Amino acid sequence: MRGTLIFAGSSCPTLTGKICENLGMAPADAELTQFSNGETSVRILTSVREKDVFVVQSGSPKINDTIMELLIMISACKGGSANKITAVLPYFPYSRQSKKKSHRGAITARMLANLLGVAGVKHVITVDLHASQMQGFFKCPVDNLHAEPLIARWIRHNVPNWKEAVVVSKNAGGTKRVTSLADALKLNFGMVTTDKKRGTNMTASMIMNHLDGIERHPLLDSISNQVRTNSSGPENGIPSADSGHSRPSRPVVDAQGSPRRANGPPLRTSNNARSPLTRAQTTLSQSSAIDELDEAELDGPEYNDRRAHEVTHGRLVQGHIVPDDFPSPATSAADASITEEDPMTMSHASSFFAPTHALGGTGADAPSSDEEEEILKNPKVEHMITLVGDVKNRTVFIVDDMIDKPGSWIAAAETVVKRGFAKKVYCIATHAVFGADCLEQMQACDCIDAIVVTNSYPIREDKARNASKLVVLDLSFLLAEAIRRNHYGESMSPLFLHMGD
Amino acid sequence: MSAEMANEIKLISGRSHPELSDKIAKRLGIEVARTISLNYSNQETSFTVGESVRDEDVFVIQSTATGDVNEGLMELLIIISACRTASARRITAVIPNFPYARQDKKDKSRAPISARLVANMLQTAGANHIVTVDLHASQIQGFFSVPVDNLYAEPSFLRYIRENFTSDECVIVSPDAGGAKRATSIADHLNTAFALIHKERPRPNVVGRMVLVGNVDDKIAILVDDMADTCGTLAKAAAVLKENGAKSVLALVTHGILSGGAIETLNNSVLTALVVTNTVPLGDKLERCPKIKVIDISPTIAEAIRRTHNGESVSYLFTHAPV
Repeated sequence: MRGTLIFAGSSCPTLTGKICENLGMAPADAELTQFSNGETSVRILTSVREKDVFVVQSGSPKINDTIMELLIMISACKGGSANKITAVLPYFPYSRQSKKKSHRGAITARMLANLLGVAGVKHVITVDLHASQMQGFFKCPVDNLHAEPLIARWIRHNVPNWKEAVVVSKNAGGTKRVTSLADALKLNFGMVTTDKKRGTNMTASMIMNHLDGIERHPLLDSISNQVRTNSSGPENGIPSADSGHSRPSRPVVDAQGSPRRANGPPLRTSNNARSPLTRAQTTLSQSSAIDELDEAELDGPEYNDRRAHEVTHGRLVQGHIVPDDFPSPATSAADASITEEDPMTMSHASSFFAPTHALGGTGADAPSSDEEEEILKNPKVEHMITLVGDVKNRTVFIVDDMIDKPGSWIAAAETVVKRGFAKKVYCIATHAVFGADCLEQMQACDCIDAIVVTNSYPIREDKARNASKLVVLDLSFLLAEAIRRNHYGESMSPLFLHMGD
Repeated sequence: MSAEMANEIKLISGRSHPELSDKIAKRLGIEVARTISLNYSNQETSFTVGESVRDEDVFVIQSTATGDVNEGLMELLIIISACRTASARRITAVIPNFPYARQDKKDKSRAPISARLVANMLQTAGANHIVTVDLHASQIQGFFSVPVDNLYAEPSFLRYIRENFTSDECVIVSPDAGGAKRATSIADHLNTAFALIHKERPRPNVVGRMVLVGNVDDKIAILVDDMADTCGTLAKAAAVLKENGAKSVLALVTHGILSGGAIETLNNSVLTALVVTNTVPLGDKLERCPKIKVIDISPTIAEAIRRTHNGESVSYLFTHAPV
C-alpha cells in the first residue's frame, strides 16, 4: 500500500510478516536492541515522514520490555514526522488490570492507554479486549476486533456434530463472551462455577439460575453464594426451592433469545443470611471483597424465577475433581478465622442492597484468573464446582478470552467430562498466553481433546510442537484487512460479521 | 491537631532498590509504607498500596536496577498511578538514577528522544514532582512540566576527597569533554589541578583513541563522571593516565550502573578504586570487585524529601552534604 509502513515489534515478527504478506508489502526496517544496561534502543532505518505508520506489537514473557519498545518506536516515528501512527496490539497488555480490584490498586490498563497517547498514537487496533469498556480509556479511536467469527468458522468446518455441541463458560464473569459465541453458532450454553467450600456446609438447598433479563446478564454468582450460606447435606442435589416451581426450564440461554419470564418476585429466601455481619463471619477474606463487588454489579433488579434444571456439583481438591467419598482436606480452620478487618468492605456488602445498579453487570467483573488460580491451588481448601447445563454425550466448547494458567481450564474440563459426561472437550480462547507450563499441563489432561487459540500472542515454537492438541488459528488476515481498511478509510463493520459458510 | 494528621510523608518503595528506601526511611524516622508488588505469571506487574494514602504526601522511591530498567520503570508508573487513583495529595517520584537519560537528543535521523518519553510517561501516570540525582543532562529537567529537583552527588564527593587526600597531591580528571564542567567544579572547590581526556567514540559503549590534556605527573589522578556503565572509558582513561605518569588512579562516579563486563574490566584495569554512590543497586558486585567503594547518598535524598515536604529550600543541598 502506498504511503504505509508496517513495523514489527520484537514480540511478533512472524505475525507481522504474515500481515505484510497479506498486504503484499514488506515490513519496514527498524533495529531493535537493548543497551548493555537493559535500556531499550530503537533505530528506525527508513524515512517515516508523512507516512501512515503501523506498529505491530503483541505480548511476550518480558512484557514490560515489550511495552517500552512499543512506546519508544511510536515516539521515534512521531519524532520522525510520521503522518499518523497506529498501534496494532493483537494482545493488549495489562488488559486484566482494567479496574480497581482492591483498595488502592492501580488501573494499569488505563495508564497504559494514556502512555500510548503520550507516546504519539493516533489510533489503536486490538483483538478481543478483556473488557470492551477499555476502549473508553483512550482518547483516540480504538478498533476492538473480534476473533469470534474466525473461531465460529473453524468450529463449523472442523468439529463433527458441532450443531449438537454446548458452549460452556468456565467462570461466571466470562459468561457474556460465551453467550455471544453460542448465539453465533445457535448452540446451547452452560457454565461452570467454582466456589470455596468450608467445613460441612456442603451444598445448595436452593439454586437459582438468573439467566437473562433484558440485557442477558447471567446472575450466576448467586449460585455460589447460596451454596455458601446454606448448610444442608450434599444429598439434596436438586434445589429444594425449585420444587415449589416444578417447572423444568432449560438452564441455557437459547440462541434465538426466546422470550423469557423477567417478572416474579425475587425468591431469595436466605436474604437475611447475607447481611454484612453474617458475611463477615462466613466469608474467607481472600477474595471476598471482589466477590461482593461482583455481586453488587451482577445482581440487577430484574430477578426472575427461572431455576436451573440441570445443576451438577463436584468436589474440587487441588484443582482436580475428586469422588464424593474423597476425604476432606484439612478444612480451612486457619483461613476461616481471618475475618474482614477493613471497614470499607462493609460498604461494598451493603451496596448489594441497593435497589438498582445503574450500570448493570458485565462479563469483565469476575475475579481475574490469577486470583482464581490462587484459590484453586490452595491445598487446604476444598472447592465446590458447579456445572449448570446439560452436556451429557455432547461435545463441549469451553470458551474464555485467554489461556494463562491451566487450573481453571482443567477443573472445568474434568467437571464436564466426569460429572456432566461430556463426549469431547475443546478449550477455546483468543489469547494463548500460556504462562509457565500451562500448555504442557493442558496437553497432559485427559479430559481436554483440543486447545484452540489464535496467534495473537506468540506461542513458543518448541512448546507448540510438543502439543498435539493445540490448534492455532491465524489472525493475520483479520489484522491485515483492518490495517488496509484503516488506511483507505473504509468501514470496519464487515470484519465483525460472521461469515455465512 | 487531628485536622493536620493528614498530609504526612508516605514513603513507598519499588522493588528495585529497597536498601536505599530503608536507609532514607531510617533517616527520616518513618517506616516504608506497606505495599504488595508482584508479577503475574505472564510477567505483568501488579501493585497495591497496603495503607491509606488519601491526602498524604507520597514519595515513591524507585531506582532502576541494571538489566531490569523497563521492569523498574513500569513498576514505578504503576505505583504512581495506584497512588493517584487512591487520592494522594501529591506524588513525588524519587528516581535516583533517571532511566533513559542518555537518550536525550535526536542525534541521528529518527532517533527517539526516550528521556522525554519517560518524562511524559511519568507525568501521565500522575507524578507531581520529580527528585533525581545527577541527571546526565540538566536539559532533561525541561522535558517535564512539573518541578524537577536535580540533586548533586558533588558535595558527597568533595567530602570524600577531603577526608582521604590533600588537595596538592591530587588532580581531577574528566574522562571526556562533556564532563569537563563537572570536573572543573570539583577542582575549583578543592583548589586542585585539573586535566581532561579527549576521546573519539565511534559507537555507543565502544571507546576509540584517547588523548590527555593537562599534567598528571606524580599525582593521584581522580576521574570524575556521572555514570560508569561498561567501564570501558574509565579503564582506558586510567591506562592513559598511568602512561602519563600518574601515581595512582581512582574514579568517582555517581551512578554505578556497571553492566555487561564492567566487573571484569574494572578488575583488570589499573584503577585502584571506583567510588560510586548507592543510587543504583549494586547487588553482588561489591563482592566480585573489591575496588568498588560506596558513598551513601541517602542523607541527601532524605533531606531533600524532608525539605520538599515542609516547603523549605532545597538549594542548600546543592553545596552541602548532610552528615
